[in-house]
Amino acid sequence: MGSEFVLFVSAAIFSIGALGFVIRKNPLVMFMSVELMLNAVNFLLIGYSSFLNSLDGQIFALIIMTVAAAEVVVGLAIILTIFRTRHELDVDRINTLKG
Amino acid sequence: MMEFLDQLWSLNMDRETVFGLFQQSLVFIIGMTAILASLGVILCASPIYSALYLIGNMVCLALLFLLFNAEFLAVVQVVVYAGAVMILFLFIIALLGSKEEKRELSFQNFTALSFVGLLFCELLMSMMVGETKPVLGQATPEVVQQVGSAKAIGIELFSNHIVSFELASLLLLVAAVGIISLAKFTYKPLRKRTRT
Repeated sequence: MGSEFVLFVSAAIFSIGALGFVIRKNPLVMFMSVELMLNAVNFLLIGYSSFLNSLDGQIFALIIMTVAAAEVVVGLAIILTIFRTRHELDVDRINTLKG
Repeated sequence: MMEFLDQLWSLNMDRETVFGLFQQSLVFIIGMTAILASLGVILCASPIYSALYLIGNMVCLALLFLLFNAEFLAVVQVVVYAGAVMILFLFIIALLGSKEEKRELSFQNFTALSFVGLLFCELLMSMMVGETKPVLGQATPEVVQQVGSAKAIGIELFSNHIVSFELASLLLLVAAVGIISLAKFTYKPLRKRTRT
């Protein structure tokens, strides 16, 4: 118990997020999976900053939260624009750019 | 629960040990709840349930941050993530309408599952690395307690990490301008633009 458990929880949530990103077809749920992966990394950083008596991990997690908020806002605006022009939300059918 | 505590007391453990055991069991339970909630996010058919499970996962992670001496980050996690970002998600779901997605077991899903299982095993291999010599910092919990968690993070952020702080503010500005231009000027398909 200790750093091994932090690694286990973080790895589990990260893998679940990666799985959700690949198998789901709704772009909103895909974004939620990305949030899961970012949260898993945040937890790992904060756990190790506590083990190592250092504040650098917490600063890193704070910056990651900022980046995640910006990313979610831009992503949701893009999803909204796609819905306005195509009136459907299925990532398998958004293939105009596919070569 | 009470009998368990009595047993612990009868073992003549001092207060610190009992508190440590209690904290470890709390970390275990909340960590398992976080994993279950994240499973709920990807397994629910309707996006609104996924969003609610994601809020549960974030609150669990905030509790874990509290248990790992990061009080300020726990508050930020609840306010920014579980508050602002998830409200944004719920608004978008309410705006676009949540359609349930039908699930099928396809070959692609099986490939994705095996790939992610392999990824998980590779991540778990980091647990097998033995004890290395840690580079300990100055910020022990007692030192942080003296000034307070938020103030300690503020001092660190404005002294050693000022460049990354400014870059983050620049990133937020760019994101704000970007979504205004995405949402305000509606996209017209090319054939309509060339016709007029």
